[in-house]
Amino acid sequence: MEFEAVIGLEIHVELNCTTKMFCDCPNRPGDEPNANTCPICLWFPGAIPRFSREALEKASLLCLGLGAELQPKSAFDQKVYYYPDLPKGFQLSQAHLPLSRGGGIEITDESGKPKKLRIHHIHMEEDVAKLVHEMEGRLPISLVDFNRAGSPLVEIVTEPDFRSPYEAMEFLKALRTQVRSVGSSECSMDNGTMRVDANISIRPRGTDQMNTKVEVKNMNSVRHVGDAIAYEIIRQGAAVQAGEAVVLHTRLWDPEKKVTLPMRAKFEGPCVPDPAVPVIELSPEWIEKMRSRLPEMPAVKAERLVKQHGVTGEEAAFLSSDAEVASYFEELVGQGVAPRTAMHWLITQLAPAVRERKLELCSSPVTPERLAVLLKMLSNNEINANAAREVLTHMFDSDDSAEAIVTARGFRQVSDTATLDTLIDKVLNEQPAAVADLRSGQGKAMGFLIGQVMQASGGKANPKMIRELLSKKLI
Amino acid sequence: MDSIFIYRNPENADGNGPLKGLKVAIQLNISAAGWPAEAGSNALVNFKALEDATIVQRLRKAGAYICGSTRMSEFGFGLQGSSAGQALRQKEADAELVLDLMGESRLAAQRARVCGFKPSYGLISRLGLIGLIPSMECCGVLSGSLKNIRAILKAVAGPDELDFSLPDEATPDFSPQKIDPEKTTIGLITEALAELPAGHEKMFRAAVGKLKKAGFSLRDLSLPDFPLFSLVHKIVGSVEASSCAGRYDSVRYGRRAAGAKNWNDMYLLSRGAAFGLLLKGYLMQGAFFQFERYDAYEDACRIRARLLDDMQRLTSQVDFLVFPMADHESDGAPASIADTYAQFTSTIFASVTGQPALYLPPISGSAHTGLQLAGPRLSDGRLLALGEHILNTRRGGK
Repeated sequence: MEFEAVIGLEIHVELNCTTKMFCDCPNRPGDEPNANTCPICLWFPGAIPRFSREALEKASLLCLGLGAELQPKSAFDQKVYYYPDLPKGFQLSQAHLPLSRGGGIEITDESGKPKKLRIHHIHMEEDVAKLVHEMEGRLPISLVDFNRAGSPLVEIVTEPDFRSPYEAMEFLKALRTQVRSVGSSECSMDNGTMRVDANISIRPRGTDQMNTKVEVKNMNSVRHVGDAIAYEIIRQGAAVQAGEAVVLHTRLWDPEKKVTLPMRAKFEGPCVPDPAVPVIELSPEWIEKMRSRLPEMPAVKAERLVKQHGVTGEEAAFLSSDAEVASYFEELVGQGVAPRTAMHWLITQLAPAVRERKLELCSSPVTPERLAVLLKMLSNNEINANAAREVLTHMFDSDDSAEAIVTARGFRQVSDTATLDTLIDKVLNEQPAAVADLRSGQGKAMGFLIGQVMQASGGKANPKMIRELLSKKLI
Repeated sequence: MDSIFIYRNPENADGNGPLKGLKVAIQLNISAAGWPAEAGSNALVNFKALEDATIVQRLRKAGAYICGSTRMSEFGFGLQGSSAGQALRQKEADAELVLDLMGESRLAAQRARVCGFKPSYGLISRLGLIGLIPSMECCGVLSGSLKNIRAILKAVAGPDELDFSLPDEATPDFSPQKIDPEKTTIGLITEALAELPAGHEKMFRAAVGKLKKAGFSLRDLSLPDFPLFSLVHKIVGSVEASSCAGRYDSVRYGRRAAGAKNWNDMYLLSRGAAFGLLLKGYLMQGAFFQFERYDAYEDACRIRARLLDDMQRLTSQVDFLVFPMADHESDGAPASIADTYAQFTSTIFASVTGQPALYLPPISGSAHTGLQLAGPRLSDGRLLALGEHILNTRRGGK
């Protein structure tokens, strides 16, 4: 029997708020252990949570950015479980009335077709404390760091729309781009600001059965998510073929061995509303205000870039995946640089140069205005491409304009026919063999001769004019 | 250690303000910075409050002297082991604060023959109150004098920027108000008389007759679902208690049980040892409804909303309500959850609806059990004025 996988994701995203979700403590989990704590986030008896407006705004922007419908009414519940990372015994989470419902992301599937992957709902919850396990001599001890306790999280719960590890990975990459562009989170699986659990079940291909699912946790990169899902599909397929039942449980991905291993059975009961946190009511006006704060989303931006500037879909996707790159591109074009040239220079020259110098595009000394001057000199044949690349290097080290650098360092392109003629004649005299080759129809010789003339000019000659003049003389 | 106080304020009174000279006793579930805040439970042994509860802070600011913490039941659930009201009786305090989960402040007042007031839910900040049933509990005030209660409410009621759960409503006016009996109708829910012990109804009707004589209009009202108040409280209250009491895990405070093999074991042993029998039964009952019969919990929440509507409809037809206060003083301590609830059948409605309720003791020497008055939500100021009017009439008419 051939199986297909049914996959849904639960994605925790840590919001980059200044404070925690229910108190004013700094939201900096990485600080000295337990530095950022107060009676509220230590969950002491008598403390009352105070819901943060910033968390609500960042979470709402994230929802809107993913096309979700913000709910007029949402509320927090007590999610009960006993574990030392939650000494309060319950986590505040929106179990019954989530912040938003619906939404989704369109990806391109393996066959190149667009596929919409739907989001079921997005809810807010507080993060729990972090356990640190150490040895005190030969005695194992567990320490609790409350810096993360109460950090603002959202959980994005998808529909079981995914059929392959590829789709899950594409979704996660697109999700990361979208969330980064609204500015609600860094969404990095590396540092734990994005954590992904996958629910996986299998069924005979072509049926619409919903079989018992297995939850897989502990993947710390998008690649691991793909690997873990792929492994789990094979494992479940083998189990079913062998006549074993798939039971509801949680497994951990072991990145070393590249396998999933079972972990403790999960105990989860229904949640009770928490009357200490007021119900959140969002007015249509407030929701519209949030929507107006939404930047242009990557998919919309890519579409516009194709229409407006004639770049290819692929280029547009690349540009719009990073708001900085896109805005740099648009500023260049706005300065009168041809979109093709702007695109090409941004990707092949500027971006690597910025990376090499460990700078950010937005803080680079080569502003779009400065680069535009250089690229216009290039398109006006005042300098050639080689020279332009060199001038760019100088622009990182000096505040001088491209024009000043070209003049000072003699990069101006030699386009004067008389000067070029002299150079060409000199080269033709020195290279009789190449001249003979060219005359006998060997096209390769042309390239060689152009290169020689260019060398003789110290790299400043206009290559197009050399070719024209050479052709006139020899053919 | 004494029979009334479990902790006495080591400092002397030095406050200044409208409450200057007023001695107020609190309980161990009301936080006062540096004081033990064990809430009557082994689960919180050695826990000291880090900050003043808002109510304590406001009392101190108004010049009151917090004289100590009295003995209390475990987490304030019922009055088993509580000495609430005794400090008033022994003239050790002028007022006492008692967290009210199902009528504890009124019942304790009845036993001490003083006035007991439970304000509207949400009128007083819950910051620093160590509770069990967050959607119902609120801080009650006991005193021999309604003037004291009014002054205390004036000092402590109202919004607290540290407690977002307080509804955004106008705080009632607690300045003295005149009550005109000729223009005041008091309703009587007949179903509330159904479960009274023998002889009580007659006594209650006699007391109501006196209100009539004082000039008030009386009106019979009907709320057939009145017996459901207890049932709803039993389910919703126990589920909230079970869920909230998760924070009392005896790990950071309380007594961690020795000999556990692993974390799970440590929780089971420690929590097992921490709670008393009554509370353990209550938490178990809540856990049962939460995990096995969540549908019943949801039904209870729906019925609660309906009861709230019913009560609002009734209170809109009259100015106040009058209820009996059955005398449940028994010889032995209640053994079970059912016994405990049976003591509060007359008072529990106000915890479910969140409306204000006031207990007035009988004239001294009388065998009467006293009266309970209630009003619509946020009618606290007028309700206290009504109480003062009735007590004055009694004095004037002796």
